[in-house]
Amino acid sequence: MTTQHTSDTGVEAMELDCTGLLCPLPVYKAALALGELRPGERLRLITTDPGALQDIPAMARQRGDTLVSVDSTAGHQTFVIEKGPEL
Amino acid sequence: MTATTQPTRLTTDLSTRRFSDVRELLPDVANPSPLVRLNRVLADRDLDIYLKLEWMNPFGSIKDRTAAFLIAGLERDGLLDGKELVEASSGNTAIALAALASLAGTRLTTTIPDGVPDEKKIALRMLGAEVWETPDDLCPVDNPRDGAIALARALAASEGGERYAATSQYENRDNVAAHYETTGPEIWRQTEGGVRWFVAAYGTTGTVVGAGRFLKEQDSSIQVVGVEPEPGHRLPGMKSFREASEPAILDRGVIDHSVVVSDEESYETTKELWRQEALMVGPSTGAVVAAIRALPTAPGDLVVAISADSGIKYTSYFEDILGEEGRPHL
Repeated sequence: MTTQHTSDTGVEAMELDCTGLLCPLPVYKAALALGELRPGERLRLITTDPGALQDIPAMARQRGDTLVSVDSTAGHQTFVIEKGPEL
Repeated sequence: MTATTQPTRLTTDLSTRRFSDVRELLPDVANPSPLVRLNRVLADRDLDIYLKLEWMNPFGSIKDRTAAFLIAGLERDGLLDGKELVEASSGNTAIALAALASLAGTRLTTTIPDGVPDEKKIALRMLGAEVWETPDDLCPVDNPRDGAIALARALAASEGGERYAATSQYENRDNVAAHYETTGPEIWRQTEGGVRWFVAAYGTTGTVVGAGRFLKEQDSSIQVVGVEPEPGHRLPGMKSFREASEPAILDRGVIDHSVVVSDEESYETTKELWRQEALMVGPSTGAVVAAIRALPTAPGDLVVAISADSGIKYTSYFEDILGEEGRPHL
């Protein structure tokens, strides 16, 4: 599920629920979602596949985005990613 | 009351090439894809080289065979059952699967490497497929160069496995069977048993393993050659096993020689085939013909090389290599 919020720099502009999806589906969907954000806007991503703990930070690094926070509790991982500058 | 006569409905007739259903155009020993001799390219090698023109198949590539066998296998095993298909493909398998899926009353979702030319991606959408463009390095930790394959597996496992049936061409023995039962026997018959070398590109490896195995069972001295691109190549449909995982169906026991070719020599040979032989082939055909130069052949040897698809689907690639060629100059 995708939720749009207000789109000010530094605030979460979108939430993407990828619970139940296996990697690399969350990576793919997160990259699509980040493509819709403006530089400085943030994506909150929720996953359940433990592989996301490696793949999502790697994706953010490759794209030039910033992984702001990761929280892994009770089988759920929550990532906040800030979109980097447009290349 | 006037009696009306029912018109006689025409039926399939191979002798006049009249078909009742497009699927009847799929190649087999009774209706083989053509073999055409090269008369100018590599003329200095004193070889009898034939290309097997798989782009004459109804959906435009050698993958027509594979797709038909993959779907038949799912039906045989009771795995289709109204599900949609999912497959990782550089385009040709997906195009054939999408076409055959429509005829079977379902549809295809395909994960496709992002370097595949637009012509193929648009053709897939025209056929009703859902196209997920996928970077090779989508999954850098677990699948460093196989992002499309990893994504197709994830889709197949999603929704409890209820939505998609995976054709899994890289690990499905029906891919090999397609070429063992059709491509190989066609070549054996078309060359009257005279083929000495069989050359095909490495991709899923279904062609080289399946047809190669059949041919070696007829005559174990036939030399089977797999052609591999360099890492970082731009030859759609081909795989470098120095950067991608080897497919589960690859049986190296069938293969006598592996030849590595560069993009440059492949595209140069592709151009020669268009201009000297009037064969409008795709880049992988240039690669397999270029590889023949490296083989320890004997004078007069009969070589059969696979021309997997036509170049019409790659015109945007050719634009890049042509530069200013063919434009008027002041």
